[in-house]
Amino acid sequence: MNKIVAMAAKDIHILFRDKLGFFFTVFFPLMMAIFFGAMFAGLSRGPANIPIALVDQDRTSASERFIERLGQASGLAVEQIPREEALEQVRRGRTAVMVTLTPGFGAALDNPFVTTPEVEMTVDPTQFAVAGMVRGVLLEAAGAELQDLMSDPARLGAANSQNSLFFESLPPSDARDQMLTFLDLSPRVSSLIDEMGLGAATGGNQGFGPPLEIEQTEVQAERPGPTNSYATSFAQAMLWTLIGGSVSFSMSIAIERSRGTLMRLLVAPITARHLLAAKGLACLGATLFTSTALITLGITVFDVRPTSYPLLALALLCGSICFCGIMMALSVIGGTEQAAAGIGWGLSLPLSMLGGGMVPLFLMPEWMQTLGNISPMKWTLMAYEGAIWRGFTLNEMLLPCAVLVAIGVLAFTLGARNLRWDTG
Amino acid sequence: MLVFDHVSKSFGDLRAVDDLSFEVEAGEVFGLLGPNGAGKTTAINMAVGLLEPDEGVVRFADEAFDRDPRDAENRRSLGLAPQSIALYEQIGGADNLRFFGRLHGLRGTDLEERVVACLDFADLTDVGKKVVSKYSGGMKRRLNLAVAIIHDPELVLLDEPTVGVDPQSRNAIFERVEQLRDAGKEVVYTTHYMEEAQRLCDRVAIIDRGRLMALDTVPALIEAHGGPGNLVVRTGDSESRHETTDPLGTLAELQARQAVDHFQYLPPDLETVFLNLTGRALRD
Ligand SMILES: Nc1ncnc2c1ncn2[C@@H]1O[C@H](COP(=O)(O)OP(=O)(O)OP(=O)(O)O)[C@@H](O)[C@H]1O
Ligand SMILES: [Mg+2]
Repeated sequence: MNKIVAMAAKDIHILFRDKLGFFFTVFFPLMMAIFFGAMFAGLSRGPANIPIALVDQDRTSASERFIERLGQASGLAVEQIPREEALEQVRRGRTAVMVTLTPGFGAALDNPFVTTPEVEMTVDPTQFAVAGMVRGVLLEAAGAELQDLMSDPARLGAANSQNSLFFESLPPSDARDQMLTFLDLSPRVSSLIDEMGLGAATGGNQGFGPPLEIEQTEVQAERPGPTNSYATSFAQAMLWTLIGGSVSFSMSIAIERSRGTLMRLLVAPITARHLLAAKGLACLGATLFTSTALITLGITVFDVRPTSYPLLALALLCGSICFCGIMMALSVIGGTEQAAAGIGWGLSLPLSMLGGGMVPLFLMPEWMQTLGNISPMKWTLMAYEGAIWRGFTLNEMLLPCAVLVAIGVLAFTLGARNLRWDTG
Repeated sequence: MLVFDHVSKSFGDLRAVDDLSFEVEAGEVFGLLGPNGAGKTTAINMAVGLLEPDEGVVRFADEAFDRDPRDAENRRSLGLAPQSIALYEQIGGADNLRFFGRLHGLRGTDLEERVVACLDFADLTDVGKKVVSKYSGGMKRRLNLAVAIIHDPELVLLDEPTVGVDPQSRNAIFERVEQLRDAGKEVVYTTHYMEEAQRLCDRVAIIDRGRLMALDTVPALIEAHGGPGNLVVRTGDSESRHETTDPLGTLAELQARQAVDHFQYLPPDLETVFLNLTGRALRD
């Protein structure tokens, strides 16, 4: 065991001394994590306007006027679509908020003295900040409507005569008479205000309750992606450190052969089993170390919050096991160091692309994600992301982990069996 | 004791080692001398178990040498300095020694003592921490030798240990080899430099095309295969060369015929033996 550890330690020592190996196992993945994280962070802040889906079931000129006003409000991108479609968008997390103008909305807007206009707001509960902002914009628009109404004697008069008719139909009472007197006077309120020069000082909804009732319902959106873009980019970086490590170590056997040190190892009193175990252990140790270091950096500096630390540890271990097996298979396929590097990178790049190592999995179309199942990289990312932001349960984690360990053991066995032991 | 007993090894049609037999004893430097491609490295590789003989047996300490390179036990008491330098260039000289020491089961203070001793042996104490890629050719050669003896083996096999080094390093290596012999080790030393073999080796096996041409001490080889020496005589500006086994008699004969201003006798040496045995045709 001491000998195996000695050999593994030597290999890791050499890996970190080797500038190219260090670049591919540490520097490149780290750059990638920061670059993609920053890039997608910019994207997920998205367009300056918050998209809201608007459903107009009222279809009156008043509702259209309100929608137009919302469209002009800064901060919102209003898209008018049918209700079913809008709901679906909220469910899929494409739109944070859906606003429905129910039948009767327009009438209430034109005459808010009897019934306060009411809208339905459907939101994804995690998007409470966005919902709050939309709520503000809706209230503002309704307030502006009310102010317009109050400062337009013709419209106000129309509303009042409509209301007078209503109150006159009620059985006589003091309250009815006072209400009718108020309605009679109210058209003159705005002109009185103007005469007194108080126009600018009065808010539209002053003295009234909120100009709009908002009834909020919540719809749980499926999480299509992580809330922090570094959560995906660091998972990808951890994958790349595995790839870099496995390619570097697959070259190391060929390098030992060409530099003659393999001869020394074979002449030393150790067995081939020792040698294989040492190479595997070195690869496992180095990749575990670098991937753990990367995610630690992600957690401490980039606010990545794994959903489960025990599962993360499991994912880290299984990912490293898989790629150490692949390392052994690669060192058989590539007899010389150039061949090992060429074949290693040649295979890794397309498989990574397919497996989500470049473009994050959740941004890929469904069929491509399915095709990605042939890539060990995809299973590694599934395990990493499962513990970092997908919120996997232990049961959900078992599948990717089992696949990873199976690939690792199979590849290692195949590699170890077919390794050339000659020294030239 | 390393024993080659009618050992042959072929690569395809090429008979690299052909019916080779010899025994190496403790406390002697045994030279394997031969031109390029003679089969020296192939023989060494069979001695350390890297190659399996097609015929014959390689034995070590009178037990059947286990030829399976994967059986570790038989290799404990041998150390090999390969012909091409075999070191980890990215780490320091001391770290190389330490690593191979651990592989041979050394640890703790035993290991550190051996590392210090071997650095001293190779005159590398001051640069032990420096990475090997920054070493000169001579320093690498010396380290290559030191790594072979980190575990203090009984049998040390040195495959052309002085290739590409300056006279100073070469001389240092000679002294180290003599030191090993004086410590009672068995040393197998391959080379195609005659003066090295003549200076260092107690017995020399001359091989060519895989076959053993002669095996004896250097004086005995010269006696048997050296042929006549050369008497060089100068009179005025003219110089003449005379092959002879009796230089005094020949000189007297010459002086009877002419005036001799100056003479020099060149006795046969190992190079003469080597060329007589292996011919003058170019190899490769
Ligand atoms: N693995 C091999 N496969 C095929 N031929 C080989 C192999 N190893 C050695 N040979 C051939 O066997 C012959 C003996 O080679 P070897 O290396 O033993 O010679 P050597 O005496 O060590 O020569 P040098 O002085 O050049 O080191 C050479 O012709 C060489 O080409
Ligand atoms: Mg050789």
